Amino acid sequence: MPRFLVRTFLFALAALALQAQQTEVVLSASSSAKLVLGMAPPKLSGLEEAQVATEFTAVLKRDLDETGVFAVLQERLPADSAPAKAWKEAGAQWLLSLRLARAATGELTLDASALDTAAEKAVFTKPYKADRLVPLRRLAHALADDLVARLTGERGVASSRVVFIRQMAPGVKELFQIDRDGANLIQLTRHGSLTLSPTVAADGRLAYVTYKGGAPEIWGQRRRDGAHEKLYPASGSGGMVSSPAWSPDGRRLAFVQGDRRGNSDIMVLDLDSGRARRLTDGNGINTEPSWNPNGTQIAFTSDREGGPQVFLMQDDGSNLRRLTAEGMYNASPAWSPNGAMIAYVSRFEGKFDLFIYKLGEGKAYQITTGVSTSESPAWSPDERRLVFTSNRFGSMQIFTTDLSGRQVVRMTELSGCQSPRWTRGR
Amino acid sequence: MRYGTYLVPAAIVLTLGSLACKPPKTAEQIKQETQAAFNEGYQAFKDGKARETNPYLSEKEAKENPHKMQGWYEGWDKAKADKDAADKVAAEKAAADEAARKAAAEKAAAEEAARKAAEAEKAAAYQKAAEAALKTIHFDFDKSDIKEGDRALLQGIADFMKAYPAAKVEIEGHCDERGTNEYNLALGNRRAAAALAYLKTLGVDEARFTTISYGKEKPLCTEAKEACWSQNRRGEFKLK
Repeated sequence: MPRFLVRTFLFALAALALQAQQTEVVLSASSSAKLVLGMAPPKLSGLEEAQVATEFTAVLKRDLDETGVFAVLQERLPADSAPAKAWKEAGAQWLLSLRLARAATGELTLDASALDTAAEKAVFTKPYKADRLVPLRRLAHALADDLVARLTGERGVASSRVVFIRQMAPGVKELFQIDRDGANLIQLTRHGSLTLSPTVAADGRLAYVTYKGGAPEIWGQRRRDGAHEKLYPASGSGGMVSSPAWSPDGRRLAFVQGDRRGNSDIMVLDLDSGRARRLTDGNGINTEPSWNPNGTQIAFTSDREGGPQVFLMQDDGSNLRRLTAEGMYNASPAWSPNGAMIAYVSRFEGKFDLFIYKLGEGKAYQITTGVSTSESPAWSPDERRLVFTSNRFGSMQIFTTDLSGRQVVRMTELSGCQSPRWTRGR
Repeated sequence: MRYGTYLVPAAIVLTLGSLACKPPKTAEQIKQETQAAFNEGYQAFKDGKARETNPYLSEKEAKENPHKMQGWYEGWDKAKADKDAADKVAAEKAAADEAARKAAAEKAAAEEAARKAAEAEKAAAYQKAAEAALKTIHFDFDKSDIKEGDRALLQGIADFMKAYPAAKVEIEGHCDERGTNEYNLALGNRRAAAALAYLKTLGVDEARFTTISYGKEKPLCTEAKEACWSQNRRGEFKLK
């Protein structure tokens, strides 16, 4: 009996240790304590308070909350008589004062300044001007991005966008784009067919797979804002074609081509010459290529050793090595924008969870947990969050999470979504 | 001035009168005109543009003296009779030709209809045979092996392909929702390839097949349970 107790105790300890290791996912980007930003109601002229509250203040607060570096404190404190002191007592480290005006011509001006409440000196001052066609929310995004830049040295991603695939009808999927805050949904393709696997180059050019011609083909833009045209195959049918991925310099496309013997190989298409080169060796399934940020290596999924696992190789196919060690089904690698991490999915009990492999440590960390599935991770441009799809509210919708997995936010309530890609380029 | 009152109107009357009255035609003139008119009319007749009226007879006169119309053109009657006879022969011949053509067209149409019916029947038989033979096969999770129970179905497809040597078929590979979109596209390709390889062992030319993978993008059933997943892990065969 005592031996049993001891064993139980040891097991519990081990479980705790495991738990500790599992939850100790707080990465440097999100681990720093958040800066408390006091936000007084903006001073307005020529604008209605209710409109500003919903289209500006609420948007700005959400943007800042989701940066992971600011905690917004909204109080109706006197802003004129010794404001810094009152806000400091309320807990604010910075105080953000805003003056928003709409001229008779419709032009918007925003004067934003932030004050360090302890040192009582300005840390941020910036005027914004926008013509009447620019919605208030875009001003809020720009301000949020500038505040993050001031604090961390890198612009935030409030002005960024997410490109994704959505089902219109059975067998018909199209490409869409949405602002990072879930507003401004735009349909990008009208092929009336299966359209899959979007990829966005750094300059915003799209590429994707569409079945509009019967067999799958890679379509996309050769020039920024250019027309969508067929990129591969140049003529005839290329068999199974899937999973295009722009190289970081936007001159090459990694993609997958399946043959009639059932193998799938990673290929790289040089857009200028039109030549495609095979990188893997026709050994089982090789798919889901993802470039490292300087375009010298590719992470991909392969079942060459049994089940699907994540592998790495040079961009000429050499130096092949397996990355993921645990689990029977690891797939969907996404190399982080700074190159130090690879997000992927791992299957457990019939559903997927997001993991991050930290290349420096050689260790994987679990990000999402729960009974619902989390799939298709893609990095935010600032590497602070992941966008992914999940069925936690029924149908597949788009969510973002910080790298600890604690702050999961639903981006849109659109159902039937897949393959989100996060970009600053559009 | 006194004579002017008479002279001026008289001058006017004389002038107008001399303008209004033509000198009477001589017999020679009339003969010439008549000959000219005849010539004109005869020429017109020869050209097939014969006049029907005598321009030198008033309508009333022509009615009262039909012989003047009759006798106007020399040879009119014969030429007309000849032409009428020729026209009649031609019309009869045309009618006969038309009848013959119609009969031939009817015969051709009947033949065409019969041929079409036969063709439709053949196509219907082909469709029916295709429908009977091109059955969906199924796969185990993350597998692409042909199941024992599906071998008879593939044999049926091979028999159909042999019975209809012109038939071409697309093999579709599909997967269930568990697995990433891209991996499932590759897996669907492998399933289609497995079916293709098996059909090849049954002696069907592989060039008559195309393969395509839809991964998990075209499920038959969308509930998250095995009964649904097993339906979705499939290979379909479609006439091309």
